[in-house]
Amino acid sequence: MFKAKMADAKLLKDMISAIATLIDEATFDINSDGIKLRAMDPSRVAMVDFEWPKTVFDEYACSEPMRMCINISEMLKLLRRTGKDESVELSLDEKTGRLQLTITGKYVRSFDMPTLEAVEEEVPTPKVTFNVKLKITTDGLSQAIEDANLVSDHVRFEIDKEKMVMRAAGDIMGATIEIKKGSDALLDLEAKEASKATFSLSYLSDIVKAAAATSEVATIEFSTDMPIHLDFQQPKEGKLTFYLAPRIEVE
Amino acid sequence: MSSRKLLGAVENPTVEEAAEFIKKALSKRKALVIVGNCWVEYKGRASSKLKPGERIVMIKEDGSVLVHRPTGYEPVNWQPPGCLFQTSTSDGVLEVRAVRRKPSESVRVFFDRVYLLSAYSLVDNGEFSLYASEEDMQRAILVEPEIVESGFKPITYEKKVESGFVDVYGIDTDGKLVVVEIKRKTAGRDAALQLARYVDSVRLTVSREVRGLLVAPRLAKGVQRVLVTLGLDFKALDPRRCAEILSRSETRRLEEFFGENE
Repeated sequence: MFKAKMADAKLLKDMISAIATLIDEATFDINSDGIKLRAMDPSRVAMVDFEWPKTVFDEYACSEPMRMCINISEMLKLLRRTGKDESVELSLDEKTGRLQLTITGKYVRSFDMPTLEAVEEEVPTPKVTFNVKLKITTDGLSQAIEDANLVSDHVRFEIDKEKMVMRAAGDIMGATIEIKKGSDALLDLEAKEASKATFSLSYLSDIVKAAAATSEVATIEFSTDMPIHLDFQQPKEGKLTFYLAPRIEVE
Repeated sequence: MSSRKLLGAVENPTVEEAAEFIKKALSKRKALVIVGNCWVEYKGRASSKLKPGERIVMIKEDGSVLVHRPTGYEPVNWQPPGCLFQTSTSDGVLEVRAVRRKPSESVRVFFDRVYLLSAYSLVDNGEFSLYASEEDMQRAILVEPEIVESGFKPITYEKKVESGFVDVYGIDTDGKLVVVEIKRKTAGRDAALQLARYVDSVRLTVSREVRGLLVAPRLAKGVQRVLVTLGLDFKALDPRRCAEILSRSETRRLEEFFGENE
């Protein structure tokens, strides 16, 4: 038996849209402590790692550990119907294998959707030693990424002890975005050594845009030509992090 | 109707003429196209009915059936290869029935008007290549020259010489100039001779030693001898490998980092 209720449906909507940037079908690990998900996108360039302990929910009950696979874009369609001050309740009918999603506000609507066959895939964590760690406001980060997105489809991060520089070079235009340590956007910066890596903006922009709705501050870690790790600090308990593989520089 | 006439098209036949045409086309396993006003009934794993409308029906040589509406790329009804067909007419309606045994299913297409019928024996031996084109192979060599020869350094590509364009032009570890000719498929005698002409044209313009290198997935029978006679080299290169190199040169996979630092 699985049942969970959230007084603010927006939290669930924002979280599901963040997960939906990478995957269409999501297999959640559910047990009495909470729900978890770790998955790679179909092209295996990026990974999402998500965790909500039961305390994030206002009511939570799970009788035995289970895996629940759902079409996440379908679920998002339903959640997009939620408005202000509405609550949402999830409950799984194990007999029929259908997930019921009830949104309660001025009126009550109940949707039910099928669960899919769970995919048995263990996704390991990339083993990377990070030389750079920085804390940035998600607003500052998404603004900088949108700036870079104007001119190119990829962006190069260059970070030393003093500042973070993002460089984007397109076919006709280029952009340089500099955020200095101690600025309003860059809250903290630790660099063991200067590091550079290039990432696809289509991934980065989708991830950051969606995850920024769930979080005010992000911790970014990376090393030269290694995957970037983005940790979006959650207001309540819980975890939302992403890994994104770098692009290879063709000079 | 002679069988020769069958290899063609008929406009606005009566349903009886159409039935005759279709029977012959199907028995001779032609690729058949029927355009007309039709309705469709399907029974099998599920059942469906498609109300009358003007559509394009294709029956291919292998017995596959596709019913296409005037828009959309997907057929509205279809049957996989290996169908058996029955054609009949009654009360001014033509019925083409396609039956499959396993799983047991049938599609019945009824026409009350036929605008166009065509049946042809079509020959199609063209390869569908999902992998790299010759141009991609060229790009892959430029990105990763080691795939043709260790220490090879490309200087330019599509270099104009007297007898044409050299695919890739570079220099090897001994400082010799290398003329590379790329073929996407099995390289034949013609490729060897073409490369020999390029090498000769380049020799006229430089005072350095010039080598010719033929790059292709494989050589046709007897071409190895031709290469030896002409003093040319061969390097086997799979277009798939080139496609991999090109895709790698963009974004890397996260999996590459699962084993780091172990």
